[in-house]
Amino acid sequence: MAFLLAPLIGLCFIANAGKIKVVTTTTDMKSIAEIIGGDRVSVTSIATGYQNPHFVDPKPSYIISLSNADLFVTVGLDLEIGWSPQLLSSSRNVKIQKGAEGYVDASTGIALLQVPSAANRAEGDIHIYGNPHYWLDPMNGKVIARNIANGLERVDPSNKSTYESNLQTFFKRIDEKMKDWSAKMSVFKGSKIIAYHNEWVYFELRFGLNIVDFMEPKPGIPPSPSQLVKVIKEIQANSIKVIISSPYFTTSSSEVVAKQTGVKVLTLATSVKAFDPINNYFDLFDFNIKQLTAALQ
Amino acid sequence: MKFRHIHPFFILVAITLSKVAGAQVPTDSTATDSLLLKQVEQQMANNQPPTQQQPRSTLSFNPDIGVIGDFQAAYTSRGKRNFDAYLNETELSLQATVDPYARADFFLSFARDPETGKYGVEVEEGYLTTLSLPAKLQLKVGKFREAMGRLNTVHPHALPFIDMPNAYTNYFGEGLNDEGASLSWLVPTKKFYQEIVFQVTSGMEQSPSFYRGDNNKLIYLGHLRNVFTLTDNATLELGLTGVTGPNDSLRVTNIGAVDLTYKWKPVQMNTYRSLTWQSEIYFGNRNIAADDAISSLGLYSFLQYQLAKRWFLTGRYDYAQKPYDNKIVEQAYSITTGWYATEFSKIELEGKTSDDTLTKRYYQAWLRWIFVIGAHGAHQY
Repeated sequence: MAFLLAPLIGLCFIANAGKIKVVTTTTDMKSIAEIIGGDRVSVTSIATGYQNPHFVDPKPSYIISLSNADLFVTVGLDLEIGWSPQLLSSSRNVKIQKGAEGYVDASTGIALLQVPSAANRAEGDIHIYGNPHYWLDPMNGKVIARNIANGLERVDPSNKSTYESNLQTFFKRIDEKMKDWSAKMSVFKGSKIIAYHNEWVYFELRFGLNIVDFMEPKPGIPPSPSQLVKVIKEIQANSIKVIISSPYFTTSSSEVVAKQTGVKVLTLATSVKAFDPINNYFDLFDFNIKQLTAALQ
Repeated sequence: MKFRHIHPFFILVAITLSKVAGAQVPTDSTATDSLLLKQVEQQMANNQPPTQQQPRSTLSFNPDIGVIGDFQAAYTSRGKRNFDAYLNETELSLQATVDPYARADFFLSFARDPETGKYGVEVEEGYLTTLSLPAKLQLKVGKFREAMGRLNTVHPHALPFIDMPNAYTNYFGEGLNDEGASLSWLVPTKKFYQEIVFQVTSGMEQSPSFYRGDNNKLIYLGHLRNVFTLTDNATLELGLTGVTGPNDSLRVTNIGAVDLTYKWKPVQMNTYRSLTWQSEIYFGNRNIAADDAISSLGLYSFLQYQLAKRWFLTGRYDYAQKPYDNKIVEQAYSITTGWYATEFSKIELEGKTSDDTLTKRYYQAWLRWIFVIGAHGAHQY
């Protein structure tokens, strides 16, 4: 067996040799970096697709990946504040520190939503720069892609034309898919729904949904009995059909509401690889729109 | 030409709109540079300062500032005055990058002296860490908690119990925390995380084991940290530490330590369930005369289990021989319940029963409320 594996491992090593090593904080950034970088890059993501990106344990094994990286891509807006700064400073890799050529903040140029007028933790787990879940609007995927392309061109200028060409192909594909997604969602424009956590605002705005309330009384605060009663009344008053949640939240409180009201509890994907069929950034929206349109019928 | 009849206002609007639309997607960095170059050339040609005032950034170079409050109530079954409530410590943290080559971290402690009840200020830690040394090296200079196993590097408010293990207190008091330099090397292995740390400190900050007399004898510490990823959900850490330095008998104390930590946290539901089993064993050798040395041993082992999103339960066992007399042996059991309201506040209740070879069994209890305002600190692994 070993004599079969050895050449295979050797081939993998040769295949990765000379490639730009990209480390991203999330799988969505990884997917877009792979599309833009093509065969010029090898990309790894720190968080998995089914993991809450706010709360990633800064395992030392991530430091190994970061210490060898040429490019680091972060969602930014303090989404990863609890873990990525510590990993970066432990990486001993000057190329990817904030402000260096190999550091990409994918949020640069995003039209931010829910930027608070005052920073007050009495409001729960709010983000002072704005809601950081911007990748859930596919049009923001273009901004992310542009930022990643800029980063790749800084660290690997000799392949600029490849990255620019891949970027244009990505833009075209997004535009094509947007027509399809918008058409499917147009029937449900204005549909009222409940969300578990405040992480769907970009998706909501893009596809014309109306999130009337959250299971969490405030971001990051677990659902309280009084909040559940409030949500039950809202569901009954507005004939709401769906509660949307994420793979990393327990659905027990949503199930309680479902028992009282008959509402459907839908666990959508917040990131690429959240579920098996979601292999890239386009699949993410295909999956969520398919699930949502079926539930809202 | 039809365009001659378009009002200049509409041309201005069209230009403005095209600029706004263009701002949605960041432009190619090279294109931005060339645009900037053109603007600079234009201004140089005009040789006039820009008439419009530039918008000012609201950002500043102030460091991230956080304040941690540690309020405690304590009970002991010994003594007449056996209950107290006090603000144990207020910690002020100031953290920022210095320049592209280094970052700085300061932790100022406004702590209560348990003897006098008065508050004093001290630099708990204040150090500079390099970000750009070659060969995967990292240098730290200043005052810092030394790499003495697992427990010593963690600030007490971040621990899952309120009192420190007996063995730890016997050897290091409030902690091995001293001024000097630390050089660490990330061993370039891809199979597991391995870090070697070497630290030299002045010994000015005295602990029960070390004492800087009227000489130039320093404290030297070496630490090997190995972290193995067992599965996506579990890691195992094995650390070896050796420290040597002068003691109050004008001779040398050597302490060796082994730490072992198993962590389990399901990646998907990591905010709801977790388990940590951490143990450290210390071997002390205190030279008190040319042909006389005291060897001692101490250990602790704790198991922390997360019952629900906000609830944690920790049980700990302590065993400690006194470093100055290994015939005095302490044993203790404690249990701590923690309720973590948010990332920024937690309440813990600990009960502890202790025995030693000199005194009869006694009991202690603590209640602690930790609260944080200001910048979000980094999580430690």
